[in-house]
Amino acid sequence: MSAVVRSRPWLLTLIALAVLVAVNTALQPSFVQPAVLQSNLTTFLPLTLVAIGQTYVVMGGDIDLSVGAIAALVNVVTVSAIAAVGGDGLTPIIAGLAAGLATAVVCGVINGVLVAVLRLQAIVTTFATGIVFAGTALFVLPQAGLPVPEAFWRSYGATLIGLPVVLWILLAGLAFALFLGRRPFVAHLTAVGGSRVGAFQTGLSLSRVRIGAFVLSALFAGFAALCLTGETASGDPLLGQSLALSSISAVVLGGTALSGGSGGPVGSILGALVLGMIGNVIFFAGLPFAWQTLVQGLIVLAALAGGVLVTRR
Amino acid sequence: MTPGEAATAAGGQDAALLDAQGVGKRFGAVVALSDGRLRVEAGEIHALLGANGCGKSTLCKVIAGTVAPDSGTIAVGGDVVQFRNPRDAEQAGIALFYQELSLIPQLSVAANIGLGREPRTGLGFVDRRRLNSEAEALIALFAGVAGAELKPEAIVADLTPDLRQIVEILKVLARRPRLIILDEATAALDGRQSARLFEILRARKAEGVSTLMISHRLDEVFAVSDRITVMRGGATVAQLVTAGTNRDQVVRHMVGDARIHPVTSQRMPPALAEPRLTAQGVRNARVHDVSLSLRPGEIVGLGGLQGQGQSALLQGLFGALPFTAGRVTIAGETVALTRTADAIRRGLAYVSGDRGRDAALTGRSIFENLVAALLVREKRRLVRPSELDPLATRHADSLNTQYAGLDAPIGTLSGGNQQKIFIARWLATGPRVLLLDDPTKGIDLAAKGDLLAIMRKLADEGASILIYSSEDAELIEWCDRVLVFNSGRIVTELAGPTLDHFHLARAAYGEAA
Repeated sequence: MSAVVRSRPWLLTLIALAVLVAVNTALQPSFVQPAVLQSNLTTFLPLTLVAIGQTYVVMGGDIDLSVGAIAALVNVVTVSAIAAVGGDGLTPIIAGLAAGLATAVVCGVINGVLVAVLRLQAIVTTFATGIVFAGTALFVLPQAGLPVPEAFWRSYGATLIGLPVVLWILLAGLAFALFLGRRPFVAHLTAVGGSRVGAFQTGLSLSRVRIGAFVLSALFAGFAALCLTGETASGDPLLGQSLALSSISAVVLGGTALSGGSGGPVGSILGALVLGMIGNVIFFAGLPFAWQTLVQGLIVLAALAGGVLVTRR
Repeated sequence: MTPGEAATAAGGQDAALLDAQGVGKRFGAVVALSDGRLRVEAGEIHALLGANGCGKSTLCKVIAGTVAPDSGTIAVGGDVVQFRNPRDAEQAGIALFYQELSLIPQLSVAANIGLGREPRTGLGFVDRRRLNSEAEALIALFAGVAGAELKPEAIVADLTPDLRQIVEILKVLARRPRLIILDEATAALDGRQSARLFEILRARKAEGVSTLMISHRLDEVFAVSDRITVMRGGATVAQLVTAGTNRDQVVRHMVGDARIHPVTSQRMPPALAEPRLTAQGVRNARVHDVSLSLRPGEIVGLGGLQGQGQSALLQGLFGALPFTAGRVTIAGETVALTRTADAIRRGLAYVSGDRGRDAALTGRSIFENLVAALLVREKRRLVRPSELDPLATRHADSLNTQYAGLDAPIGTLSGGNQQKIFIARWLATGPRVLLLDDPTKGIDLAAKGDLLAIMRKLADEGASILIYSSEDAELIEWCDRVLVFNSGRIVTELAGPTLDHFHLARAAYGEAA
């Protein structure tokens, strides 16, 4: 049993999620209705996506505090690009998506190069680049506004082959995580996070692997921004400010050690859903909102302590 | 012969598998290598020998691409190469065994062995089945001598040290190198496992694969090597055929024409007093069954190649790496040394050569660095600097320390003066046993002289001193007797006429006196 949990720490997260779903359903019987499920998923999706990307950075022994700011920057770049291209139809939307995701990749490369090539400390560097990205977002779009075309947010809220688009996006994220998990990249990332010296002496290219992780993190922050854009249907330079710390909480809850070298994005997906469900349960239990932050904090602390105690044995 | 023909000849039959010439490397002010030369032919087992600090490890790292040389040339198969990283060296067919350091503890045995060169399926996924079966085939090489826990799926962190070392060896073999460099590859292996490793290397030899081995056992070297290169003081001094030489000759090359019986500061052995400190059959991670006794007024050295358990013994006595078995007495009383504070209150003091790691309170004043141990010894909770000032000044001055004032930060002092402050830190506690762990690392000659004088004075006042030094000359010059370590055990004790470079080097390589 313990061996099973040690190699798959996300099983505990899965159990926690099941319990929360049961409690939520008891408190709010309508929870299981498709429309309610879809609206919940729409709320949880951005954090879930950011958490997938954050996992790769954490597995490599780094941390990315700039994901929230990247999401804001991608959001304003996307809506601005759509407005700049103008007109009807798909062209402006595709241009907006492309501009937004390209921005994300650039942000990721900047973080990766600063951390992996110039060897600056990840926590301080991404804190600082986060401020820079947030500042850039305010520069691009000083005030919230600039609506996106109806086709954008309509298709985000639509269904495809009987399932909501948001569920398809979640499944795509999961599929990507599983796909990448079987590629050598993740093995190399685990090695880089597990033992920098060992990975170097084995001949792995540390900087390439670490930059790759930062680009993935930024890219997923970009996907999250596009989802938020679909939800809010407009630009907001201050969006997603809590995403960085929440995504790290989700990663930790999912069983990925902050010290690097273990874990995986499947756990982080579950961790993000657990964080969202905690908010739900507190709301429907009629507890004051202030409790939500407190309880989330305590649960993350417990997960961190549990992780450390398990590895220390 | 035209130049073109010359080039062909150099690149053809005559070229050695590896030919390193005039390799030099300095780290800061320290010259690690001045003239490293090494020629390894295809299909031979070649031993690289030398005393501590002779540059053999640095030369290996240069050849394997982990350290960039300042000068010299390296040719592989006749072609001059310049490795920028380990990957370059690997592509040239050179694989270095790193004592466990290249393993990723969180990954499985198979993932570690295949790391960086994973077999892939058509979709670009890692082919787990092939990865595991390749690991399985390699593990079979050690069948019967490795435990059943050694499986492709096992997580490396869960393995015992000997199995981790075998995984590291398998990882090297998996790269199918033309030259395998083994730096102390048998350190954690038992006799049968080492024997199996050498069988494997002999089998590879027949396929034209060469091995360059660094070993701390002459037995091993003479049993398996074809040729021997000896280094001394950063330069290659002899290139020998194993069958045409003998152990004494090799040891003589290692020590050079250093005076066989140097002038030492040895005195008459101190009067036969009751031992101040005894250890019986103590063990910890790197010390296996060591017994010794130390009398008041005695300076006893710990010799041998680096990392043979000398530091671990000193740290064990100081409670920093507690012993798991055995008995320690201080002044006839059995004591448990499980925390450093216990040891300090028992009158033990420990000075490390690794000042940055073990001693310095960086950024703090000389005064704070000086009184740190005293506060522990006296269990002080409140400190009144005015009370301690005169004491601190007296101890700092007693060592000829050059300093601007007790309030100056410790970082303003030179390495040698810092080290004096750390010794003064312990002198302030009036230690009965002084443990010195390579205390002269990175300090200049004048400071070394001062240090010797301090040790002598302390010993004459009745303190017992146990010192490990990586420089044989210091042990010979300073100590009343020297216990020589090999693989965590005391091989032999040298004193009087046998305490010289020759016997020390011979004993360091596991030869009893």
